[in-house]
Amino acid sequence: MTPRYSAPRDLVGVTAALADGDGVVVGGGTMVVPDMTHGRTRAAALVDLSRAGLAGVTAGADGVVVGAMTTYTDLVEAGVPLLSSVATGITGGPQIRNRGTAGGSACYANPASDVPACLVALDARMRLASAGGKREVPAAGFFLGGFRTARRPDEVLAEVVLPQLGNALLGYVKFKLAESSWPIVTAATVAVPGTALRVVVGGAAAVPVVVAVDRPSAGSGDPAWRDHVREAVHTALDAAEPWSDVLAPAAYRRRIAPAIAARSAAHALEEDR
Amino acid sequence: MAAPTQPDSAIGGSARKRDGAALLTGRAVFVDDHQPTGMLHAQVVRSTVAHGRILSVDTAAAEAAPGVRLVLTGRRAAESAGPVPYFIDPAARGGNRTDIRCLQVDEVVYVGQPVAAVVAETRRQALDAAALVAVEYEVLPHVLDAEEAMLPDAPRLYPEWPGNVVMHNRYGTGDTDAALAAADVVVSGELRIGRSTTSPIEPRGYLASWNAAEGKLTVHASCQNPHQMRWMLATSLGLDEGDIRIVTAKVGGSFGLKMQGHPEETLVALLSILTGAPVKWIEDRRETLMAGARQQVHRFTVGAMADGRIVALVDDIVADVGALTAQAGWAMPNMSATTLPSGYLVPDCRIGLDIVVTNKPPVNAARGFGKDAAHFVMERAVDIVAHELGLDPAEVRRRNFIPADRFPHRTSTGLNIDSGDFVGLLDKVLDEVGYAGIRARQGGLRHRGRYLGVGLGFELTPESSDSPGTFVSGFDTTTVRMSVTGMVTVLTGVTSPGGGNDTGIAQIVATELGVPMEWVELVQGDTDRCPNGFGNFSGRSMVVGGGSATLAARDVRDKLALLGSRMLDVPVDRVEVADGVVRVVDDHSRALAVPDVARALLTRAFAVADGIEPVLESTRAYKPGNIDHVPDEFGRIQPYPTYSSSLHAAVVDVDVETGKVVLLDYVMAHDCGTMINPALVEGQARGAVAMGLGSALSEQLVFGEDGTLLSDRFKTYLLPRAGDVPELRMVHQVTPSPFTMHGNKGAGEAGVGGAQAAVANAVEDALAALGVRVRGVPLTPPAVLALIDEAAAR
Ligand SMILES: Cc1cc2nc3c(=O)[nH]c(=O)nc-3n(C[C@H](O)[C@H](O)[C@H](O)COP(=O)(O)OP(=O)(O)OC[C@H]3O[C@@H](n4cnc5c(N)ncnc54)[C@H](O)[C@@H]3O)c2cc1C
Repeated sequence: MTPRYSAPRDLVGVTAALADGDGVVVGGGTMVVPDMTHGRTRAAALVDLSRAGLAGVTAGADGVVVGAMTTYTDLVEAGVPLLSSVATGITGGPQIRNRGTAGGSACYANPASDVPACLVALDARMRLASAGGKREVPAAGFFLGGFRTARRPDEVLAEVVLPQLGNALLGYVKFKLAESSWPIVTAATVAVPGTALRVVVGGAAAVPVVVAVDRPSAGSGDPAWRDHVREAVHTALDAAEPWSDVLAPAAYRRRIAPAIAARSAAHALEEDR
Repeated sequence: MAAPTQPDSAIGGSARKRDGAALLTGRAVFVDDHQPTGMLHAQVVRSTVAHGRILSVDTAAAEAAPGVRLVLTGRRAAESAGPVPYFIDPAARGGNRTDIRCLQVDEVVYVGQPVAAVVAETRRQALDAAALVAVEYEVLPHVLDAEEAMLPDAPRLYPEWPGNVVMHNRYGTGDTDAALAAADVVVSGELRIGRSTTSPIEPRGYLASWNAAEGKLTVHASCQNPHQMRWMLATSLGLDEGDIRIVTAKVGGSFGLKMQGHPEETLVALLSILTGAPVKWIEDRRETLMAGARQQVHRFTVGAMADGRIVALVDDIVADVGALTAQAGWAMPNMSATTLPSGYLVPDCRIGLDIVVTNKPPVNAARGFGKDAAHFVMERAVDIVAHELGLDPAEVRRRNFIPADRFPHRTSTGLNIDSGDFVGLLDKVLDEVGYAGIRARQGGLRHRGRYLGVGLGFELTPESSDSPGTFVSGFDTTTVRMSVTGMVTVLTGVTSPGGGNDTGIAQIVATELGVPMEWVELVQGDTDRCPNGFGNFSGRSMVVGGGSATLAARDVRDKLALLGSRMLDVPVDRVEVADGVVRVVDDHSRALAVPDVARALLTRAFAVADGIEPVLESTRAYKPGNIDHVPDEFGRIQPYPTYSSSLHAAVVDVDVETGKVVLLDYVMAHDCGTMINPALVEGQARGAVAMGLGSALSEQLVFGEDGTLLSDRFKTYLLPRAGDVPELRMVHQVTPSPFTMHGNKGAGEAGVGGAQAAVANAVEDALAALGVRVRGVPLTPPAVLALIDEAAAR
């Protein structure tokens, strides 16, 4: 059966088209279109965001506002903290970076992807819109499990708000099995001067996991600090739902997560820049 | 190599691929580009259970779906088509067989086995309707692991067999027990080679057009062996061979996968006959990835003397070939066994092989053809011996190589190696990779927490095989035809999967005939036009295609020379044909253009060619030497004329926190005898090495417990990308074969096993300080980390 298709001209049109709760949102389409081709997604109605004016990055008083349809390429050009460097490393190359969106990635909520943990690290706020109104959900509360988010079927992610980071330092490390692989474990570090490091680990559990890590006093190679990171990461992971896929079992993800977290911290602290 | 003054089109020159421009600009026509009027699309309905009895197939909903022309069940197919004949019949080699059907009738033995087919007006309609075919199964117990399949109470794939073993064979000569008892050290180990696959960029596909009025069938196929396919379709469909035409002109890579014998070949032809319309089926990537290329377990014991000389080799191989196939893939493990002693002087060998079926899709023929496994295992064994004796692995190889002056050399398993200089390859590769320097740097780096390793892998690649009574043929046939305008058409029985042998053959013909290469047109892969031949496999195309083209070109050249000499009024031994003219050897000013001589012969035969048969065409077959099917006193035959050789060195850096292996450098020293076209040789070698590197580090077909393939896309089946592979550096050595026309040997397969071995040995070398012992491939990061943890726990 061919689904109903609409490409509303604005957000109001989008929320109206989604009001029945049976619509599938098409962002850049890099995931949802192949999923339909292979029969993994069956839709009664398709709501295409490409004409709804949801792309673009604007700086506002309370932070940077990233429209849900902002592509990876747009992010690179706009120089959005953390997300722009993540965008350059998206495996799919120009085709995917020119179409894929960070908003789409967030809504897809694949644990083995870059964006979710970054949004949590940045303390992003997810602006959801429906015919009934708008609401804001913190990124940390948005990701509920593997491929599950707080977004209701009648809602669209309209924008992502990234609060001002001040003079925080950022670090990011992604570990893949090979160039073509999904991310296996990622770690984003936000280092606000004078405070402990905030490291958010992705891929090691069904949702991004926040870990508070002390700053290394004797460099990131210090075995004692490494032990501390391992303990902190493992404690955080113990409280989270484990994640496995065909590329790597949960035990492996857990095993390497501390090393990736430590590298990301070192990256933020510019040790290896 | 070519002297610098020679043109690129000469033998030894790196002429560019003739179809390069067409390929790069998207003008090359592949099977999926053919769109005859009225064409329909087929979709295969595949088993969803790993083992089961088909209780019912309900086609009603599919038949009622939009655009559907035909829904075919296995039962109905069996009324119109017989079994698919084997490329290599196991029964002919004393093994167990089963009838291979284009659609299963009663039982299925793997997830993905064809059970029904849908033909519709569009591909989309066929896909949708295929999902509506309801197949009910009585689920039977299944077995996915070959060693479990060998247990007495294991589920049986084919109830009429005594077990799940296709065949058990023994190979080798000598007294290994005595040799092991006399050895200074005895080492043993177990190695597992994971299931990987070939992944050509173009999947399989067939377009069959049945002409009911004439009773003729034309099939465009992405296939390596058009003539064999014609015979196979004639057999399975009960047609006359003469009523079938197979065209395989452009193929987007095949690597063995597209050797004939797949159920869909008969199926698509049958669908066209039943619908009376052209029917196309193009495989989906998920279907391509079902095909395995290799999966084996080896348990080996090696005895060596204190100086490193290996005196005995015992190996027991369990080869998992998935379900049985009519394709050649099930036979590959035989070559794992016969190639095992490789290029080493190992006097006593005892190798046992069990070829075992499991409830997984078939292992199909794949580049390496089982020889890759032999190199992986033997090269690991050599490194373990070196480790045990405290000797450098390079030195142990040097001490065991068959010396360059001892060829031809017959190995314990019966292979008669034509020629080689393996020590020469070793010296070249050590020099190029900077072996001594790496060894010197390793210790210092290790103190800084870096684990750098270097590994070697030797590979002996038997090529151009001949298997009596099968369609694995060691000869081939070519026609060279010159027209009245002097243009040359070469029609050959060998086909090109995209590697460029058409360019190489054109170079040979141009050189032998003495005309510019642009005058030469090549026709391959058309059973109505080309002489009977066998397509491409086993590195044969330049050996037998090139050899037969040489013979035929020389015939035509001789005719030109004879007539030309008469027209120039000199004795024939005073003329030569070169640069497009027939000329007097010591007076180039006296010359006739080749087209003028051709026209004279073909239009003035009675006037100028008295006593000369006026035909500028020759069809010749070429049989290389060194093939011997008379069993010797040990029952061994010698099926390969040539043996290419290569030595691989990999330099790796292992991240001990994640298990990730990063390739820093790679050198292949390669010897395939005379190179007809070095650029094409290097292209093939790089591809084979990349395939070996992928299967060594990241490629792995993963099945769920229910037998479903989980790694069914390129995001889960990880091929190496440019960023994973360093520049693959090539060094050449030329040891001509005494048994082939130009001294060339097979080129195209060498690299898979050598790369696997070099990487595995490099990883073990990098992690030597941690006591890691590599036990298989692929060495994915989780696998390497598990090895590190295991070593730490010891
Ligand atoms: C070849 C390839 C390589 C890739 N490499 C990487 C990589 O290295 N790292 C990585 O993290 N990811 C990678 N990805 C995934 C990529 O990040 C996502 O495909 C992309 O970001 C999804 O964005 P999209 O706009 O195309 O989403 P779509 O495919 O349009 O949608 C994805 C899902 O989100 C929903 N959706 C989309 N937008 C909205 C919205 N605004 N509101 C509500 N719901 C919405 C859709 O309904 C669908 O369920 C890769 C993908 C491919 C195909």
